[in-house]
Amino acid sequence: MPVWLQEYSWRQTGSAVYLSLPLRGLRVSPANIFCTDQYLKVSVPPFLFEAFLYAPIDDTNSTAKIGNEIIFFTLYKKEVAIWDSLTLANANKEKLQHLRQDAVLKAHKKAKEETETKKIKKQEHKKYALEATIKLEEAERTRIEDLKEKERQKVTKELELWKKQHEAAEKQNKTQKELHQEVQPLNEKKKEKTNKSRIPNEGTSKTKLKHTKGHGSYSMFSENLNEEQLPAPRSAATIKINFTSRVFPTPLRESRVAEEEEWLHKQAEARRTVSADLSELEDLKEEEKNPDWLKDKGNKMFATGNYLAAVNAYNLAIRLNNKLPLLYLNRAACHLKLRNLHKAIEDSSKALELLTPPVPDNNSARVKAYVRRGTAFCELELYSEGLQDYEAALKIDPKNEAIEKDAEKIRHLIQGTNQDS
Amino acid sequence: ERPQVVAHAQQALSYTLFDCKWVPRSARLLCLGSAARGTGVLQLYELRGGRLALLREIEKPKPIKCGTFGATSLQQRYLATGDFDGNLNIWNLEAPETPVYSVKGHKEIINSIDGVGGLGIGEGAPEIVTGSRDGTVKVWDPRQKDIPVANMEPAEGESKRDCWTVAFGNAYNQEERVVCAGYDNGDIKLFDLKTMSLRWETSIKNGVCSVEFDRKDVNMNKLVATSLEGKFHVFDMRTQHPTKGFASVSEKAQKSTIWQVRHLPQNRDIFMTSGGAGSLHLWKYEYPAQRSRKDSAGAEMGVAGSVSLLQNVTLSTQPISSLDWSPDKKGLCVCGAFDQTVRVLIVTKLNKV
Repeated sequence: MPVWLQEYSWRQTGSAVYLSLPLRGLRVSPANIFCTDQYLKVSVPPFLFEAFLYAPIDDTNSTAKIGNEIIFFTLYKKEVAIWDSLTLANANKEKLQHLRQDAVLKAHKKAKEETETKKIKKQEHKKYALEATIKLEEAERTRIEDLKEKERQKVTKELELWKKQHEAAEKQNKTQKELHQEVQPLNEKKKEKTNKSRIPNEGTSKTKLKHTKGHGSYSMFSENLNEEQLPAPRSAATIKINFTSRVFPTPLRESRVAEEEEWLHKQAEARRTVSADLSELEDLKEEEKNPDWLKDKGNKMFATGNYLAAVNAYNLAIRLNNKLPLLYLNRAACHLKLRNLHKAIEDSSKALELLTPPVPDNNSARVKAYVRRGTAFCELELYSEGLQDYEAALKIDPKNEAIEKDAEKIRHLIQGTNQDS
Repeated sequence: ERPQVVAHAQQALSYTLFDCKWVPRSARLLCLGSAARGTGVLQLYELRGGRLALLREIEKPKPIKCGTFGATSLQQRYLATGDFDGNLNIWNLEAPETPVYSVKGHKEIINSIDGVGGLGIGEGAPEIVTGSRDGTVKVWDPRQKDIPVANMEPAEGESKRDCWTVAFGNAYNQEERVVCAGYDNGDIKLFDLKTMSLRWETSIKNGVCSVEFDRKDVNMNKLVATSLEGKFHVFDMRTQHPTKGFASVSEKAQKSTIWQVRHLPQNRDIFMTSGGAGSLHLWKYEYPAQRSRKDSAGAEMGVAGSVSLLQNVTLSTQPISSLDWSPDKKGLCVCGAFDQTVRVLIVTKLNKV
């Protein structure tokens, strides 16, 4: 239950009400004061002051001054009138409650409206700022464009001028040339004289011709002189060169160097596994070091029934190159014949691993691998695994009747055992 | 105020443009390229007002990759071209039906061509150098048919690398001349034609797209080599250290390939690079306080200076593959890009740099 503060004093004028509320030892902040147009509340728990005003006031303009031990309210009345009392007379509890709620709602609404207006104002300000910046930038841009345009025009004019001068000079050159052609024989003698005097100068001064008007004769003379002074063509020779080595045919780029290094590294590694056991293999013949030749040998021995020898051949081939799936596949077949079922399973699995991109080219090899593994499982009485493999084989090659029959057999076997147990 | 690059004129073309060159002593320019049907195109334009007017169009059986006026006299102004088939031809543009000189110089496309000794610049015999995809660099004299006067080829058993760029330099008297060649594996080799030997070689970390000496007709001063991955190197060529070679400074201009470098003919310390992103950068080289110093063993070693960017501009979205300054008007240049446009630009305020 709050403690009601009821000691207050008030006085009024036609348009305002002055209310002073003494607080003994209480610290009040603006958050403790709640005011709407007909309800005033000061709440500093556990103390409470509440006033249901006689008539509406203008709560936006009314003020509250928090001073030492006292709050001084200046409330401006909405309608100029003299109030009979500060608060409403009938203190019906329900009504009071109602009024309180109303007040709160009103306050809410007011707050909402205020935020709305603030938002709208903010947006307008932003828009305005944006427009202003756009204008400024536009102005800057046009200024630069103007400068550029002026520059361009100036330069174009200069160019035109230069061109005209140049054309005039060329015309003069042409006419002078024609004149000189007529006067040629006379000048031959002159030329010889100037020849001698010019030789010492040739080396020091540069005979770089400047663009001058009406000096056609000058240039023609020097041209003729140059021809006579030209050395003979060089004697042909060849220079042999070496290039800094580069494996790739593409141009060298810094950003690609890391990639290229990696690629080369991998290539080197792949080649290294081949040459791992060189020491032992030294006493073998050339062809015996070739995995393909060994595979063929193995196949032949398998065909004749010499399974152990075939396994040996495949073993050596695998040591030389362990990335050929067919070697494992064939070795699995040998192991099956030799009843080395676990080894057969291992080899078929390895073969399947190596045949990982499951493409149509791999089909026959994969079918064989699955079938061999399936057979091995069944021999070991692991019928469900065996059936899985047979079904995988069937998926690749649905038209193979032998596999179909074997799969059926295995299914019956499984059902049989299930029934028994 | 920095130099500005002003776009003066441009022309859309109907073929792939590989090279564009100013015709010396004129306001005309030449565009070389490859038409869609696999033939070569030569077009002669004249700068009129703010536009390019087509004066002449010549079609040739093979696409043309590069051309130069460097080895002809000012009166004749013959154009030397290298084409996709490895043929070197010299054309008289007044009578372009048959070439003045023709040789099947290389087995594969001629990537780059340069000429020296003509146009009244420099001394000595006019010569043309071509660098090709077959890994060889050959120097030709128009007076000698069929056989090059110098041939820089891979040794026996050596696998070839594409030669992407060649440049002449050091032609300050009648005997001296060097050829610099850049290859796709980052090699830069300097051949001395007087002694017919390899004078210097180095390797940068990217394929070399373009090399140029700042001036062909002086004692070799600076060499700029541009490469893939947006880098270029400026070598100070005045001092050669016996083991370390030439000093250099390198700069990374942009992320894409730098296709071409061209020095301003009127000021050898200013050069422009064109990039794979369609941009042009204008650079100025500043010399160090002392261009050479002694190293610990007492041998002379060069000191490289520094490069500063004066201006850059993006003109296109496609690489600008060719660039040429006009030798007659300072700041006038033409550039050709792979968006089938040739643009004439004027760079202003170069006097104040």
